[in-house]
Amino acid sequence: MTKNLSDESDVRAATEPFQAEFPYERDEEAQVTRREFCNFLGLTSAALFAGAAGFAGKAALDARESESLAAAHIEGAETLAPNSSLNFSYPTERDSAIIVRTADGAYHAYGQKCTHLSCPVYYSRDHQRLECPCHEGAFDAATGNVLYGPPPRALDTIEVETRDGQVWATGRSAKG
Amino acid sequence: MTGKSGPLAEAQKVETEMKTRSKAGQTAVWQARLIMLVMINIAQLWVLAATVDAALAGHYSVLLPLVIASGVCFVITLSIIKWWRPTSRRKTSTGYVREDQ
Repeated sequence: MTKNLSDESDVRAATEPFQAEFPYERDEEAQVTRREFCNFLGLTSAALFAGAAGFAGKAALDARESESLAAAHIEGAETLAPNSSLNFSYPTERDSAIIVRTADGAYHAYGQKCTHLSCPVYYSRDHQRLECPCHEGAFDAATGNVLYGPPPRALDTIEVETRDGQVWATGRSAKG
Repeated sequence: MTGKSGPLAEAQKVETEMKTRSKAGQTAVWQARLIMLVMINIAQLWVLAATVDAALAGHYSVLLPLVIASGVCFVITLSIIKWWRPTSRRKTSTGYVREDQ
């Protein structure tokens, strides 16, 4: 009769002294009861609710902060030639933005992050539109709306005002 | 040799059958609970994804309904776990009675 060396019971019998020192039951360890699984699902539900509430709360807080942005002077925008653009930061140094002076002389400013995957958009003089080099998306220079490509929505709009010949950024908003 | 027969044996047989049925019923209720909980969790996952999407897109008006929907799902989950429990029934001379768990 050949003895099966890989038999689980034999292994447990052979390691009996160690079992006394480090007792554990593998079968019990692996088993999850229905009650435990139910409780786990309950905790998951609570975590998902907390996540949704937290994310919404933070977004609402950010929206409230963005409503009360301080106006900032855009250096060099006054001397911007028609059909050209200039990069600046608004409302913080980390928020890159782009101001475009269209051929008719009007100023339009937008957040520079593409609404697809946040690549920086640039102004194409030839096509007179804002383009994203990553996935070939394009935005209207006058409205910020999507012309074509994968971006799901328009660029964030930055309100601009001309005060005493100087161009100021006065607010930033996201379009649906 | 005498086999089991008579009213007592019959009663025991009925009792055994009822216990088996009761057990099967309880298992069904447990399975139903688990399936419902899993489905609600999946729905909540979808709601969370929609919340993140709406927040990043600046659609602030839909955030509150989404959070409320997630909260309702959570309340339903709680109610299922807390109160919607399977119960067993026992037949007595006066009919079926609920056994305390």
